[in-house]
Amino acid sequence: MLRISVNGRSSEVDVDPATPLVYVLRNDLALNGPKLGCARSQCGACTVLVDGRAVRSCQMRAGEAEGREVTTLEGLGTPARPHPLQAAFIAEQAAQCGYCTNGMIMQAAQLLQDKREGLTEADVREALDHNLCRCGTQPRVVRAVLRAARQQGA
Amino acid sequence: MGVDTLSRRGLLAGLAAGAAGLAIGFRLDGADAQPAGPAAPAMLRANPQLDSWVRITPDGRIVVLTGRVELGQGILTAMRQIAAEELDVAPERLALISGDTAETANEGVTAGSQSVRFGGEALAVACADARATLVGVAAQAWGVDRAAISVRDGVIQGAGGRSMTYAEAASRVSLVRPVDTSARRKPPAAATLVGTSYPRTDIPAKVFGQQVFIHDLRPEGMLFGAVARPPGYAARLVSLDMVWAKSLPGVIEVVRDGSFLGVIARREEQANEAARMIAASAEWREGAPLFGGKSVFEYLRTAPSETRTIHSTEGGGPGARRHTAEYRRGFQAHASIGASCALARWEDGRLTVWSHSQGPFPLRGDLARGLRMQQAAIRVIHVQGSGCYGHNGADDVALDAALLARAVPGRTVRVHWTHEEEMTWAPWGSAMVVRLEAGMAGDGALTSWAHDVWSFPHSTRPASTDGCNLRAAWYLENPVPMGRITDGALPNGAAARNAVPIYAVPGQKVTTHFHTDMPVRTSALRTLGGYFNAVAAEMFMDECAAIAGVDPVAYRLRHLRDPRLVAVLRRAVEVSGWQPRPVTPGRGRAQGTELIGTGVGLSKYKNSDAHVAVVARVAVDVGTGAVRVQRLWAATEAGRAINPDGIANQIEGGMVQATSWTLMEEGRWDHRRITSEDYHAYPIIDFGHVPPIESVLIDRPDLPSIGVGEGSQAPTGAAIANAILDATGRHVPEIPFTPERVLAALRG
Ligand code: FES
Ligand code: FES
Repeated sequence: MLRISVNGRSSEVDVDPATPLVYVLRNDLALNGPKLGCARSQCGACTVLVDGRAVRSCQMRAGEAEGREVTTLEGLGTPARPHPLQAAFIAEQAAQCGYCTNGMIMQAAQLLQDKREGLTEADVREALDHNLCRCGTQPRVVRAVLRAARQQGA
Repeated sequence: MGVDTLSRRGLLAGLAAGAAGLAIGFRLDGADAQPAGPAAPAMLRANPQLDSWVRITPDGRIVVLTGRVELGQGILTAMRQIAAEELDVAPERLALISGDTAETANEGVTAGSQSVRFGGEALAVACADARATLVGVAAQAWGVDRAAISVRDGVIQGAGGRSMTYAEAASRVSLVRPVDTSARRKPPAAATLVGTSYPRTDIPAKVFGQQVFIHDLRPEGMLFGAVARPPGYAARLVSLDMVWAKSLPGVIEVVRDGSFLGVIARREEQANEAARMIAASAEWREGAPLFGGKSVFEYLRTAPSETRTIHSTEGGGPGARRHTAEYRRGFQAHASIGASCALARWEDGRLTVWSHSQGPFPLRGDLARGLRMQQAAIRVIHVQGSGCYGHNGADDVALDAALLARAVPGRTVRVHWTHEEEMTWAPWGSAMVVRLEAGMAGDGALTSWAHDVWSFPHSTRPASTDGCNLRAAWYLENPVPMGRITDGALPNGAAARNAVPIYAVPGQKVTTHFHTDMPVRTSALRTLGGYFNAVAAEMFMDECAAIAGVDPVAYRLRHLRDPRLVAVLRRAVEVSGWQPRPVTPGRGRAQGTELIGTGVGLSKYKNSDAHVAVVARVAVDVGTGAVRVQRLWAATEAGRAINPDGIANQIEGGMVQATSWTLMEEGRWDHRRITSEDYHAYPIIDFGHVPPIESVLIDRPDLPSIGVGEGSQAPTGAAIANAILDATGRHVPEIPFTPERVLAALRG
C-alpha cells in the first residue's frame, strides 16, 4: 500500500512503488490533468508539481511521492476559482487540441512562483523549452503566461 | 455503471463544457475526387434527413448534430456558431453531438479543410430549414404573416407579446423528414455570431483537467490492452511460449491471431511491460530489407511506378532559355503529443468502439471487414484525441482494441499506444521528389512549366470499399489485405496536390510517378502532397526570378491573374515591409557570422481553398549552417470568416508546424522499420525556435467560406526556403534544411 497526498487529499493505493506516478494519478486516482505523452521525459505533457516543483510524472516513481504533496492541474484551480494561468489560457485561447496544455500550465506555475517580477518573453520561452506542442500554439502560450504574470503581479 | 452511460455522460459533459471552434478539417481522398461545387446539396443528398442535423426534443433541448469531429482545430465551436446563427438560439444552449455512427450524419472523414465549407454549409441549410418551419407553425397558429415574426433565443415572438417556444412549435409539426434544401440562410450582413471570435467552447475543460480526451474514459471494470510488435514491418511470428506469457504480472489474457499478438492486463503499465517482454522473447521470421537497401529517393526514382500526365495546357514554347531543378523531402511524421487510443467492448456479438478517428463511419466499415462481421453490429463513437494532423494511428488502434476485447466479452478494453508505437507503426507522410522544368522568354517571362512528382500514397485511410486499411488486419491468421490504393484526382489531387501552378503560364504539364508499394507505410499528413509540391514550385519561382534578375514579388505579380492571390501577396508584402530586390545568386548579406535573407511564399491550398502569402526572414550561421527563422508574416483570405481568432490559431499553428517540418523533420529507418521512435530521434520545434509571427486576415463576407486549416504550411515552408536562397544564394534542394545540408551548399 502506498499513501500519497494529491491536491490536499491523502489516498491509499495498492500498487508497486516502482510504478511511474503518471499511471497512478491517471488510472488509480482518475485524474485527467497529467497527460501521458512520450513517457520518456521529452514532451512535458505529464508535468505535475511535487512540493511545488514541476516534475515529469512519467519519470517519478509513485513510491518517491510518498510523504510529499502532489498538485495536478485539477488542484491548481477550478472554474469557480481559476489559477491566473488557467484564466489566462482561456483569455488568450492558448490551445488547439489541448493535450500539451497541462504541461504548459504546470511548468509555467513553477516559473511564476520563482520569478514574480519582471518576467520577460525570453524567460517564458526558456522555462517552457522542454514542453512540446505539436499544434503550434507556442506564441499563444507565451502570451498567456505573460498575461498571468501581469495578473498575479497586480 | 455501464460504459454507455459513463462515456455518453462524459461526452456530453465535454460538449456542454465546450466542444470546440474553427474552420479546418481534412478530408478523405475519395471525396477529394469530387470537384468543389455547390457543396451543401451534395452533403445533404448523402444525409437528407433533417433530424440527422437538428432535433428539438419535447423538453425543449435543441440538439445539433454533425458528422465532423473535433481534432483540436475548433470545428465544433464553428459548427455551434453556424447553427446558433441560423436557429437564432444562444450558442451555449445548443447540445452538440458529433461523429457517432448511431446518431449523426455520415460525413466521411474530417479532412482536407472541408468541414466549414461542406459540413458547415449543410448544417446551416438544415438549421435554416428548421427555423423557417417552426416560424411557419407560429405564423399559421397566430394567423399572421411570417414577416411579422421574430425569434429570440429559441422563442418565436409575434406582435402583442405573443410567443411560442421552439419546443411548442416543434410539437405541432414533424421535423423527421428530409431537409428542404431551398431553405435560405441568413444573409451575412444580418449575422451576429458568425464572423465573430466566439471563444472555443472546449478550452475551459482542457485547462481545468476535466474529462475531454478519449484517454480519460474510465468505464467501470476497464482493462488495459497492448500489442506486442514484431521487430519489423515484414516480420512474422514463428512461436511464443503462451504459458509463460500468460504468467507475466497482471496479465489476464494473451491474444494471438497469426502474427497479431497482444495482451490484456489489469494495469496499463503491466500491459505495456508484458507486451514489450513478449515481443522480445517471441521468435519472429524477418522479412526483406526495406527499399531493397537503396536510399528512398533512389527507390522513388528507379523502382516501378505508375506514370501519368494528369494535367496539361496548350501553348507555350521552349523559350529563350530553360531552367530545371529537383527537390526532395524525406518522410515526415504526425508526432502527436498523445499517442493513439481506443476503447472497445463486445456484448452479444455487438461491438462498441470509442475512437478519435477522423472518420467514424469509414472506420466502422473497415472494422467490419477486418473482423469479418456486419457493420450494422458495430457502433463507433468519436471522442477527442490528441491533436491530429491526418491519418495517424487512431484508426489502427481501434482494431487492436477490438481484437483484444473480443477475448473478454462484456469488459471494456482500452489500448493506448506508446509514443514509440505511434512513431513506428502509424502511417508517415510520404517522402517525395519533385522535378521542375520551365522555359523562359528573353524578358524572363515563363513560357512553359512541367512539374513531375514521385511519391508514395497520401491516402490509405479506411474508407476503401474493399480490404481493410487497419494494420492489425494484415497480420491475422487469415489476413484481410489493404484495399486498392489510388491517388487522389485533380482538381484537389493527393500526390499532385498543388502541383498545378497558381501562375498564368502557358504549356503546363503535371506528371505523377505514383508508387503503390510502400516499404514504409504512408498516408495523409496535413496537406498531403500540397506542402511539398507548393514549396518546390515556389523555390523554383525564386530561382526563375533570380535568372530573370527580377524581385521575387514583382516576378510573381507578373505571372498572377488570380486577384485573391494578388491581394494576399500585396498585403503580406506590406505588413512585412518587403524591400524589393532581385535575388542575387551566390551572394548573401552578411551580419557578423550570419547571413540574413528574406523570402516569400504564396499558395492557394488545393488550388481551391485558402489564399495565403507568407514572408520569412532568416539568419544562416555561416560557421554551422544552422538556420534560424527570425520572423514570419502572413496574410490570409478564406472567404467569409466564421471565427477570425480560430482562423488565426490555425494559420499561426500551421506556420509553427511548417517551420518545424522545413528545418528539422526527417524520418530514419533501418532494414526493418522506422527507427525515429521518439522526440530525440525525431525532434520537433521547441519554444526557443518558434519565431515571432504576425498574421493578418482579409475577411470577405461576400464570398463563401473556404478551408483554412491547412493553408499556411506550404507558403511558410516556401518563404523559409526562399529566405535561405536570398541569404546564401545557394540552392538547397532537400527538406529539411538541416545545418549539414545548408553548410554543404555554402561550401559547394
Ligand atoms: S510523458 Fe512525461 S515527459 Fe512526456
Ligand atoms: S495544443 Fe495540441 S499539442 Fe499543444
